[in-house]
Amino acid sequence: MNDAAISAALADASAHRRPVALRAGDVFSGMHRRVIDADEIDLRSRRAIREYEPRDLTIAVECGITAAQLEQTLREHRQFLPLDAPNAPQASVGGVLAAAWSGPRRHRYGRPRDLLIGSEFALADGTLARAGGMVVKNVAGYDLSRLFVGSMGSLAILLRANFKALPLPESTRIFLAALPDGTRERAFSQVRNLRPEPAAAWWIAGYDREIDGDPGDDGRIAILLECDNALLERATLDWRAALGRAGIPETRLLDAGAYASFTRLLDAPMHLPGLNALSYRSVSLPSQALALADSIADVIDRFDMHRDLLVDIMNGDVTVRAVGDAASFTHVVGMLDDALHDRAPRARILAGGGEVHDRLDCFGLLPNAFAQMRALKERFDPHGILNPGIAFFDGLHT
Amino acid sequence: MLIERLIEALGAEAVKTSPEDLACYSFDAYSQGVLPSAVVLPSSAAQVSAVVKIARDLEEPLIARGSGTGLCGGAAPARAGVVLSFARMNRLLELDVENRRARVAPGLVNLQLSERIASTGFFYAPDPASQRASTIGGNIATNAGGPHCLAYGTTVNHVLALEIVDERGECFTTAVEDLGYDLTALLVGSEGTLGIVTSAWVRLLRIPPTTGVWLAAFPSIESASEAVSAIVGAGIVPTALEMMDATIVRAVESAYAAGYPADAAAVLLVESSGEPEEVASADSAIARIARAHGATKWQAATSTEQREALWRGRKGAAGAIGRIAPNYYTQDVCVPRTRLPEMLATVDEAAKQHGIVVGNVFHAGDGNLHPLLLYDKRDARQVAAVIEIGNIVLARAVELGGTISGEHGVGIEKRNGMSLVYRAEDLAAMANVREIFDPHALLNPEKIFPSGISCREMRT
Ligand SMILES: Cc1cc2nc3c(=O)[nH]c(=O)nc-3n(C[C@H](O)[C@H](O)[C@H](O)COP(=O)(O)OP(=O)(O)OC[C@H]3O[C@@H](n4cnc5c(N)ncnc54)[C@H](O)[C@@H]3O)c2cc1C
Repeated sequence: MNDAAISAALADASAHRRPVALRAGDVFSGMHRRVIDADEIDLRSRRAIREYEPRDLTIAVECGITAAQLEQTLREHRQFLPLDAPNAPQASVGGVLAAAWSGPRRHRYGRPRDLLIGSEFALADGTLARAGGMVVKNVAGYDLSRLFVGSMGSLAILLRANFKALPLPESTRIFLAALPDGTRERAFSQVRNLRPEPAAAWWIAGYDREIDGDPGDDGRIAILLECDNALLERATLDWRAALGRAGIPETRLLDAGAYASFTRLLDAPMHLPGLNALSYRSVSLPSQALALADSIADVIDRFDMHRDLLVDIMNGDVTVRAVGDAASFTHVVGMLDDALHDRAPRARILAGGGEVHDRLDCFGLLPNAFAQMRALKERFDPHGILNPGIAFFDGLHT
Repeated sequence: MLIERLIEALGAEAVKTSPEDLACYSFDAYSQGVLPSAVVLPSSAAQVSAVVKIARDLEEPLIARGSGTGLCGGAAPARAGVVLSFARMNRLLELDVENRRARVAPGLVNLQLSERIASTGFFYAPDPASQRASTIGGNIATNAGGPHCLAYGTTVNHVLALEIVDERGECFTTAVEDLGYDLTALLVGSEGTLGIVTSAWVRLLRIPPTTGVWLAAFPSIESASEAVSAIVGAGIVPTALEMMDATIVRAVESAYAAGYPADAAAVLLVESSGEPEEVASADSAIARIARAHGATKWQAATSTEQREALWRGRKGAAGAIGRIAPNYYTQDVCVPRTRLPEMLATVDEAAKQHGIVVGNVFHAGDGNLHPLLLYDKRDARQVAAVIEIGNIVLARAVELGGTISGEHGVGIEKRNGMSLVYRAEDLAAMANVREIFDPHALLNPEKIFPSGISCREMRT
């Protein structure tokens, strides 16, 4: 479907009050509710690069393009966009934006929304409009492009996204270390103070299939270094010395495999080993992440479930993947919400196996500006035809 | 009635009504607006909320004001109303170094934040050239940029959460991490038309261990702008890449003796920060490109003093121009970086054609131009010429795929220019947002939107 066809389909749907459901990569579907009874608009064929002038470091793409395709195009010109999308060969750029996905490199390069400089979109009544442009600085009018980030396709359909690209780092290296007993706290603060700053850093307990090597008595850490060639060896020496001071005697380096390992770790929370599984993320502050991880582990362990934990050391996200009996998950999530309520109000389900997902409410606490969001929804989609039921601003939650 | 109620809510010393006071708050650095009905200096979000409720009852517009350094008439009242000055809400409210963030009141002056936290090893990145005077609230409302935004991004990339008093006087908060629509990004850059910022959490960055500053001199403005395109095109993003033309260089030299070569047709000021190895590779790579584009000089600042002197020249450029011309008008457009040479050629031609002297000092690495048009406001011909050149520049920027404002905002100045970049449908979508947040059109009215734009187009 081209823009005109999407516009016509929406105008028709709007005139007949017929709901539409957007179909793209399906990677983030665990993060929202299922859309109820709607005609599908499939965006997966909309994968064109619309404008790319490498010398401007800007790129415009159709939103159905996958994160992997976009990355490939940019890589040919030694550029990149740190979208950090899980399951990149399938995840669409539109999905990354609509889900407000942000990954472990955000403290360094910003979130996908930070690099978004413009967009074209279709409104519920079929009107095609745009905001921003192809320049890296632009303060003409409201930033509607970013407003749609996190909208889960419930406010408008993003058709085209314009981004500011970044030069690809010359070197990528992953440092893996098993933590000896009792070193976790020190490792955390040492990693956060490393110079040069890590591009990403995780503390991992579990996920044994995603990374090789010794799991460590106190979990293990994986740290991503992205830098100029000229800096690589000196940074390696400095990092190893710093980790040594935190009681971590040995670090393994991954060079050739670094990127693949990084990708596996990005994918891990979204890859559920079966239907009776759940991934849950709480976004907090780096200083609280360890304590949160422990509280989460405590809750899950009470249900005798298998769990894998991933803590984003630089940003504070705690992600847990649990596998167990489907009936227990409602209790698990309820207890997690209670346990984390005050400390990490922004917790949410990332992925849940079929039945597990259906039983759970995938949103944590409502945002404070809920009323404003709902007013926007009512204005932009007065008949509620865009992805009905997908999001909390639909009124289902009140 | 208005004044009595304001005094009752805030106390007499927080309400200003004398003609001299009102006059002081009737303009910003761009334009003269009308006199407000009153000026208030609230000291808390609760007081802001009280003021908003009173103004709403009496249908008085509300104009939030930082330091009034805005260059588009944003803080200048267009329809009288109550000006809210944040001069008393200027504290650093919380410093959370561990999590690299700070909560600030809107009236905190930009530079003071970085100065106050310098000992912690962190800084606040957005650095408008007005940072000694402009406030973080004003910076948020305009999504201010600055020389270092090339590497660090603009204000929107550094705001983590906002506390807002809305049009009804109610308080709400937004955070980048919130579920749902990105209201934080929507509010940043909304020029006081969607809500009033009463506090903000902002990101702090680690002060880089090494910083190099270089100056490159070029025989022509074209060769300098080609060099800029080539540097960015080669995938090098220095922390700052600023350009000044001959007019500016001479003005700056006579005002500050910053060490710029007075005979250069254009000067590039380049800064790179990071680990020493990274700074060294930027030095050699950029020097190579500069020379390949005809640079006649590539000089490194070897001491902190030299570095500061080079920057003083850049940051004081507008002031230096103020010494050589009775008046000047700053235009602000942004184009894709490869189109810089064409854009500069248009500026030059238009200025020559209209007999106006122009000085260019700008954020070249971002494609963000600031032609300063020198004139004498007592001469009607010059005033007309400056307006005409301004329009030519706007139209050409849009033609080249750019925009009518890279960082100064729309305010009252560029309302009508909005139709150059956006179609009626695009503007209607924005107008719908405005109507939700400000249904009675009391928040900084007559700003941003061209006259006559409505949101009707979108209603089904
Ligand atoms: C010499 C000079 C150099 C400059 N250099 C730069 C530069 O490099 N980059 C750049 O981006 N700009 C620059 N500017 C423009 C100006 O400094 C910026 O726009 C700045 O962000 C304005 O801040 P202020 O505190 O002066 O705000 P004001 O001028 O007082 O207000 C600006 C706008 O913000 C709104 N506002 C203020 N406070 C609030 C609040 N608390 N809540 C809601 N709305 C509010 C006002 O209503 C108005 O619309 C420069 C100006 C000068 C005079």
